[in-house]
Amino acid sequence: MSDLLALYQEVILDHTKRPRNFRALAEPSRHAEGYNPLCGDKVTIYLRMDGDRISDISFQGSGCAISTASASILTESLKGKTRSEADALFERFHDLVTGKGEGNGKLLPLGKLAVFSGVSEFPTRVKCATLAWHTFRSALSGGETATTE
Amino acid sequence: MSPYQGGGDMISSVSFEKTIYNVIPYKFEAGTPNIAGTVALGAAIDYLGRVGLENVGTYEHELLAYATEKLSGLPGVRLIGTAKEKASVVSFVVEGVHPHDVGTILDQEGIAVRTGHHCAQPLMERFGVPATVRASFAFYNTRQDVDALVSGIKKVKEIFHDLS
Repeated sequence: MSDLLALYQEVILDHTKRPRNFRALAEPSRHAEGYNPLCGDKVTIYLRMDGDRISDISFQGSGCAISTASASILTESLKGKTRSEADALFERFHDLVTGKGEGNGKLLPLGKLAVFSGVSEFPTRVKCATLAWHTFRSALSGGETATTE
Repeated sequence: MSPYQGGGDMISSVSFEKTIYNVIPYKFEAGTPNIAGTVALGAAIDYLGRVGLENVGTYEHELLAYATEKLSGLPGVRLIGTAKEKASVVSFVVEGVHPHDVGTILDQEGIAVRTGHHCAQPLMERFGVPATVRASFAFYNTRQDVDALVSGIKKVKEIFHDLS
C-alpha cells in the first residue's frame, strides 16, 4: 500500500483532475504529438520559443493519471527555461523515474517533479511518466511525433 | 522451398558438394520437437476430461453471474459487454479513473487483471472508452476471488475520489 501512496501522491491526483496549461497554443513555434501505442495514451505538446527560452508551453491529450499529471507538471516546470536547462531537467527526471539517480548522490533538486519518485517502483508505468517528456524533446528538436516504443 | 532454419532431423546428407534435405515435414522441423509441451497438452486434456467440460462451463457461468451482480452494484462501475451468452470474463471501467491506474492498484492488492484496448481499438471507440479493465474467471477461481476484486475496486475509488 505504501508503494501505491507513493505513486498516487496528492499532487499527482490533483494534476490529473485539474491539469494545468491544458490547451492548444494559438501560434506555437513548435508542437509535437506523442503516442504510446501499447496503452493508447496520446499527448500533444505546444511550445512558444523566445530565442533560446521557452516563453510558453501547453499540452492536450488523454491518458492515465500518471501520464496526464506528468504532462501537466512538465508544462509548469519548463515554462521560462532555456533549452539546456530543459535538457538537464529531463536527464534528472529520467534518472528519477527509472531509479538510476538514487544512492549515487546524482539526484539534484527537482522541485515539484520529485512527486514522481514513486514511479521507479512500477517499471510498467515508466513510459506513462516519460511520454510527455519525449514528446517535448521531439517538439524542441523540430520533430512531429514521438513514441515510447 | 528452402528451410528457414537448420538443426537436427532436417538433413538427409551433407557433403562438400551438396546438401540433401530430409523429406517434408522433417525438412521444416529442425531440432528437438517440443516433446514436453506435447506430453503436457495430453495431460491437460486428460485432466479437463476428468473434471468434465460441462461442469467447468456450469461453474464458470455461475461465477460470471455472481461477478456481474456484484460489479453492477458498485456505483461508478460500468460493465462493457453484456451479451446473454458470453464466456466467463467481465470488462469494465471505473468512472474518472483510467483502466491502467485501476490495474496498477488491483495488482498491488494481489489481483491480476488485463487492462488496455485488448487489441480491439475499434470496439473501444464503439463504447467510447480509451481502454477497459478485464477480469477473467476460470473454474479454479472462487466467489472469494470476486469479493477480493470488489474490495480492490473500492480501494481504487478511495485513492482516486478522496480528493475530489
